[in-house]
Amino acid sequence: MKMNSHSDIDSQESIILADIYQFLAYTMGYPEPELIGNPFLDAMEKMLENYGMHSEQQDIDAWRQSEKDEDLSDTLQIEYTRLFINAVPKIIAPPYASFYLDGDHNLQGKTTQKTRDYYRQYGCDITNPHEPADHIQLELEFLASLCRDYELDAEEMFLKTLFRPWFKQFYNRIIEDQGHPFYRVSVQLIDYITKEEQ
Amino acid sequence: MAINLTRRKFLKTASIAAASVPLSKVTAHAEAGVVKTPLIPKGSFKDTKTVTGGICEMCFWRCQLVGKVRDGVLKKIEGNPKSIDNGSALCARGNAGIKLLYDPDRLKYPMKNMGKRGEPKWKRISWEEALDECGKKLKATVDKHGPEGIAMFPHGASAKYPMHYFEHVVGTPNVSEASFFQCRGVRDYAWLSTIGAAPGEHVDMANAKVIFGLGCHFGENIHVSHTKRYLKGLENGAKLVIVDPRFSASASKADIWMQIKPGTDTAMLLAMMNYLVENKKFNAEYVDEYGEGFDEFKEAISPWTLEKAAKECDVPAAQIKEIADLLAANAPNVSIHPGRFSSWYGNDFQRGRALACLAGLLGAFGVPGGFVKGIGPGGFGKVKWGHGHEAIKALHREAKVHHQSPAGTPTDLIRDCAITSKPYPIKSCVVWGQNPIQTIPNQQKTIDMLMQMDFVMCVDVMPTDITMYADILLPEASYLERYDYIKKGTQWDLSAKQQQYVSARMPLVEAEFERKDQVYICNELAKRMGNEEAIPVQTIEEMVDKILEPASLSIKKLNEEDGIHLQPGKDPYGDFLDINFFSEDLVEQGYPGAPTYEPIPDVPKGYLRLLFGRSPLHSFNRTQNNAWLHNAMPENPVWIHDKTAKLLGLKDGDRISMVNSEGVESGTTSHVKVTPGIREDCVFIAHGHGTQNAAMTVAKDAGIDDQKLVTILAVDPETGCHGMRNNFIKIVKA
Repeated sequence: MKMNSHSDIDSQESIILADIYQFLAYTMGYPEPELIGNPFLDAMEKMLENYGMHSEQQDIDAWRQSEKDEDLSDTLQIEYTRLFINAVPKIIAPPYASFYLDGDHNLQGKTTQKTRDYYRQYGCDITNPHEPADHIQLELEFLASLCRDYELDAEEMFLKTLFRPWFKQFYNRIIEDQGHPFYRVSVQLIDYITKEEQ
Repeated sequence: MAINLTRRKFLKTASIAAASVPLSKVTAHAEAGVVKTPLIPKGSFKDTKTVTGGICEMCFWRCQLVGKVRDGVLKKIEGNPKSIDNGSALCARGNAGIKLLYDPDRLKYPMKNMGKRGEPKWKRISWEEALDECGKKLKATVDKHGPEGIAMFPHGASAKYPMHYFEHVVGTPNVSEASFFQCRGVRDYAWLSTIGAAPGEHVDMANAKVIFGLGCHFGENIHVSHTKRYLKGLENGAKLVIVDPRFSASASKADIWMQIKPGTDTAMLLAMMNYLVENKKFNAEYVDEYGEGFDEFKEAISPWTLEKAAKECDVPAAQIKEIADLLAANAPNVSIHPGRFSSWYGNDFQRGRALACLAGLLGAFGVPGGFVKGIGPGGFGKVKWGHGHEAIKALHREAKVHHQSPAGTPTDLIRDCAITSKPYPIKSCVVWGQNPIQTIPNQQKTIDMLMQMDFVMCVDVMPTDITMYADILLPEASYLERYDYIKKGTQWDLSAKQQQYVSARMPLVEAEFERKDQVYICNELAKRMGNEEAIPVQTIEEMVDKILEPASLSIKKLNEEDGIHLQPGKDPYGDFLDINFFSEDLVEQGYPGAPTYEPIPDVPKGYLRLLFGRSPLHSFNRTQNNAWLHNAMPENPVWIHDKTAKLLGLKDGDRISMVNSEGVESGTTSHVKVTPGIREDCVFIAHGHGTQNAAMTVAKDAGIDDQKLVTILAVDPETGCHGMRNNFIKIVKA
């Protein structure tokens, strides 16, 4: 078994971690109906159940019960646009690191560049050069890739230097907004998986 | 939150649960956003380069740019050192273009309004769905109400191609450009009827002995090559005369500042011309050779003595005489500046005519310092939409009003027609790059017009106020991310070595997110409206190459020449233009044949006249959300005279709002700037502040929106253009 300085996480657990990151990455992408369908939501509910997050699971379940299957992704798309793209009065939480870290009301800031450089340092890059590299979905996908490669030091360093410094602000904005349970629950899960050991 | 999971516990639980939650399966078919690539050594930068060929559009002047691009990201904008127009210089707005490019509030994807018009609930949709919806709705309007059932409000370079599509192929005459009907259209058509050409700003200020600016805010409206001409003129010793109710940046440099009563400029010009004629101080030779209708003109202006004008304009008669003498003594080498924004008081066509006639009396055409148009390169191709439908008669043509209207239809006729459905319904609205909420006076009427539409679509780069009323909102590539029409001209100093330049707007970086250029968007609309056969070019690159090709140029060649092609130029002096001092055509149309002064309403007791204008840091509303420019000028100070401030108990820096004489409130606040540099009966603010759409997170509520307070409509009778300085306000302490 390949070992890492994170002696408490073995390579098999690292693959599981990668799967979780990958799953959570897609909660932060635009909710296309092909992806965010019943299998995806079933998996999310199962996770919540396993982690003992019963009230969150009930929230998701209640939402699913209240809407027809074909309307689920529509609801999420409106909510995603409101939270992350454009909205009146204003979007809740721009999903880009540089927005929080670089000040000056900017995308494609120094943090975006640092993030992309970090990806490249570990042999990764973004597939769509027309979107900033520091979108939360891409950062989570990158973390998945690191875990798949059992690069847990790099994962920890990325979390510490480039992810957590902005995620908490992003997280707070979504929790305070008290919007749709899907996104509240998703950022809670992301929070658990990325926060430092107490 | 159910439990306080730690990462470790979370992971352990996940491991146990892994078997029952097949996460990898549910995400297996998703497209990856991050993939493995060949290793790029740390510290290396892909594509570090200087990209040439940019043309600015932070305002309409279109300075030539280069971009410092690293890893596909624009890091810095500079003037193109090869430019013989702006040179390596850019203004503050030009430098700050990068903040527009990467503004987090920018529109990123096509969106559909799932809520109400004015209170949108956006949903990101695909381009396919957005275009299908736009095409279907616009076609339905044409099928039901005819092409005139569509109104269009375009602005800027990117709106030209779609504007021609809607005018010529769809066939609607109901097009209103803010740059005409709320800006310079009245100037262009006043000069057109006097000298046979729109004047632009073609005055050779760099080589003038006197520069005469009527309401010209040089230094507050920064257009780099234009400002260079002005400053070079001053450097060479030109006398500067500025006529303005306010001590503007130019007034501060003036040899003579005439603090005129607003709206009376034409009276002053008529008196000045009458004085020149009566005292034979005009250029009789030029008038004989190139003047038409001089005797009728002379007769018409004869009542305007210096004293009569002095009383009307609230200025000393001696000052009018002093200016007239100064101009006469230095004629013909004088720059009578035509101005640019001219939609002032609703009597503006006559002022434009009077200015052009003054230049004619002084013989200030075709000579150094006079009205001289540089001779730019020619021989370019044109990209034209085929004419699909017989043009419908425009509303002003039907009603036989506003005979001197600029191209399109006067805004108020469109708006009234839409609201009343008389003479016909207007049920779809296309807004392309314009923000009619802040360009057109009387916002409520504009909103009423939008609310009665069956369909509203907007194309823009930012979520401006108008976008709140869109059913479909499309994100456009900005000027830094797309090709566009060519810019051509000559060196800025007309007396320097004669050179011509050709450049085309070329992208400094690729468009991010899902932003598209105007040719793509418009062509796709045309296809869906059944007009595919009329499409003149398939791509924006093809459009630019078609324009360049007859001149033996291309995008490729311009790129090889660092974005700008230079060639020898021609001496521009010696073009002596005919002057129509008295126009029989205008008489036939029911207007005065000679320039005529029409008084405007006086300031009611207890109120102040609301004046507005430019600031060097903003291009009206379009730059309000720009973080750098906002930081430099976050709001628009309210200029108020010392005495007026004292009477109202105001001191410098006090927060105030405004309410107009019709009871409309500004809603937002700004701070007072107490100054002796404005008439006691006026206040002045820079235009474009006080954005209402909270999606503009920087600009929202920053300063006061003058347009909100412009509810008394003045319409210039000859052109149908708006006059927007006939509104009166009271100050309310915040």
